[in-house]
Amino acid sequence: MNKVLILIGKIVSIISKILNFGSGSTWPGHIALSLNKNFIKQVLKRNQFKIILIAGTNGKTTTGKLIQNILEKYGKKVFQNAAGANLLNGIASTLISNSNLQEKINKDFAIFEIDENTLPLILWEINNPDFIIILNLFRDQLDRYGEVNTISCKWHKALERLNGKTTLILNADDPQIAYLASNLKDVRVKYFGIDSGNSTSKIQHASDSTYCPNCGEKLIYNSVYFSHLGDWICKKCNFKHPEKTFTKSSFYPLSGLYNEYNTNAAFLLGKQVGVEGKTTNSALKEFKPAFGRQEALSINGKNVLIFLSKNPTSFNESLRTVSDLGGKNILLILNDRIPDGRDVSWIWDVDFENFPDQFKNIYISGDRAYDMALRLKYADLKNFITEDDLVNAMNIAIKRTEDNGTLHILPTYSAMLDIRKILTGKKIL
Amino acid sequence: MKYKLIIGWLYPELMSTYGDRGNIITLQKRCEWRGIDFGIKRLDLGFKTQDLKKCDLLLMGGAQDKQQQMVSSDLMKKKDALGEMIENNIPGLYVCGAYQFLGKYYKEANGSKIAGLNIFDLYTENPGANYPRLIGNCISKVLNGEIIVGFENHGGRTYLGKQVEPFGKAIKGFGNNGTDKTEGAVYKNSFGTYLHGPILPKNPEFADLFIKLALQKKYNFSVNLSLLDDSLEKKARESILAKLKLQHNFIG
Repeated sequence: MNKVLILIGKIVSIISKILNFGSGSTWPGHIALSLNKNFIKQVLKRNQFKIILIAGTNGKTTTGKLIQNILEKYGKKVFQNAAGANLLNGIASTLISNSNLQEKINKDFAIFEIDENTLPLILWEINNPDFIIILNLFRDQLDRYGEVNTISCKWHKALERLNGKTTLILNADDPQIAYLASNLKDVRVKYFGIDSGNSTSKIQHASDSTYCPNCGEKLIYNSVYFSHLGDWICKKCNFKHPEKTFTKSSFYPLSGLYNEYNTNAAFLLGKQVGVEGKTTNSALKEFKPAFGRQEALSINGKNVLIFLSKNPTSFNESLRTVSDLGGKNILLILNDRIPDGRDVSWIWDVDFENFPDQFKNIYISGDRAYDMALRLKYADLKNFITEDDLVNAMNIAIKRTEDNGTLHILPTYSAMLDIRKILTGKKIL
Repeated sequence: MKYKLIIGWLYPELMSTYGDRGNIITLQKRCEWRGIDFGIKRLDLGFKTQDLKKCDLLLMGGAQDKQQQMVSSDLMKKKDALGEMIENNIPGLYVCGAYQFLGKYYKEANGSKIAGLNIFDLYTENPGANYPRLIGNCISKVLNGEIIVGFENHGGRTYLGKQVEPFGKAIKGFGNNGTDKTEGAVYKNSFGTYLHGPILPKNPEFADLFIKLALQKKYNFSVNLSLLDDSLEKKARESILAKLKLQHNFIG
């Protein structure tokens, strides 16, 4: 049965590529799962590779790519789901495209990034993955995911089913994530974080978990890195930041504190597998960013850097990183399609007020360009140009960027896909 | 004369999940642009009622269930003070979770009832896990014919009693309960609504109404607000109406 499903899947994938229906990264799996709901479980049973799951609101794709580079440098054969194909159908599709017609996948490691809502479901299909990395949990697309507490409760329940085969790799700086290790018996847990030299004093407005996940008391922060991430302690029940935490990779290939987390998580995973620091280091040095995640392009002698910015925390951190890089030209693109979240209220939780004079030229575009323009108006930023047609906006922004200068683009998810299509399809100028 | 308003922001730490901070920013800027002093009093868990009583207008947003429970027990202790202010015509905006709090009770998806503050004559019931949340863009027409644009996202269905008026009629979206087409509730100078967006930036006339009501209440005479350039606000409204295929003049 599954062999037939794999064959069908491969044919569907080829056809959809030929007819340009998209990358074919979810349909084959969708078909396989609707004909055999145990497809994933059964295919995995016939194979030996180790499985790494990556969950969290921000950083899944970059962390997955970092781990892939590290493991490949270590001489392992690795496969991974396409960015964004992180529901069950995406996982099934990935198995199909990497399998031969005998249901065999000749690889050492599978890396699956998993959607927040899918993590509990995938753990029914993959009972005890070798590694689960949980990066963070921030408010994101409340219309689709529900609230942060709802997700963490679901995760907690799902993780309780794990046994000693699994190693959990958790972000110690996120109290809600560190709390996931409580009540787990046999599971090995390792923690990563970032170096406390990065701390600021103030809790940002867009923070979700500043109350103790164990007893509900307000947490005390010795230091805050961003959002609710930091060195925290509950004075009431004494639940506190785990002590032994990996915080120091040898090299960081991408800017931004959020990428220090991603890198440290990947480095720690490598350590667990037995990869030497030296090997990891050279893998990190050769790292090329995943698409739209600080991806660099060059258009007509101008540089373009794309920073996917999809929720308050990722937007805040993108702004901070662009500002630290000395960026002067930014293009903000706000869409409200399903992959972005239909509700654009969240832009009011982004701290534009922190950057009063940083950006010389601000361009705004996207389906909800005027919502973004209003947000900037009420943050007292004045030097922005609003153009809802994305191609026009790109043209204006590129033209007005000085030669050899850099335009920093901060798009929501579907806007990021649009902008790449425009830039790489040369649908510009 | 230099006017000054102090807004009481109820539970900014816990009840501010859906960008409702934008409502505070909007009131602040629209006052400051007109030379009206604007102070923000953050009233977090354990706040003192004398701080609440110093406020000229009030705002409270929505939150996650767990955080709403934490707020609920704190707010119950301040029920009388808040009720007095609402009865005394202190203007207030209560969004989503806050709006539900003001009613008689909230029946959870599992059937258990949480008592509300019993200030608004309304109740809210979550019909259970098998019923979808009411999510999407919502356009409502309020009493003076004005159009309010926003975004709703709520599991509870709210039903109004006779002592409150609906704030508006949902002409797109679900409104209070998805059946009777009412949206929100008005009692004296207090407004309850399900609309995020947040509601005030894209509905500047509604924002100004709060400022006017608060000034009138505080200084005891009607204050004329100077006009602001709202062209960007208009464009943001028009773009969402166009997206929903509603023409402004057609609705009006």
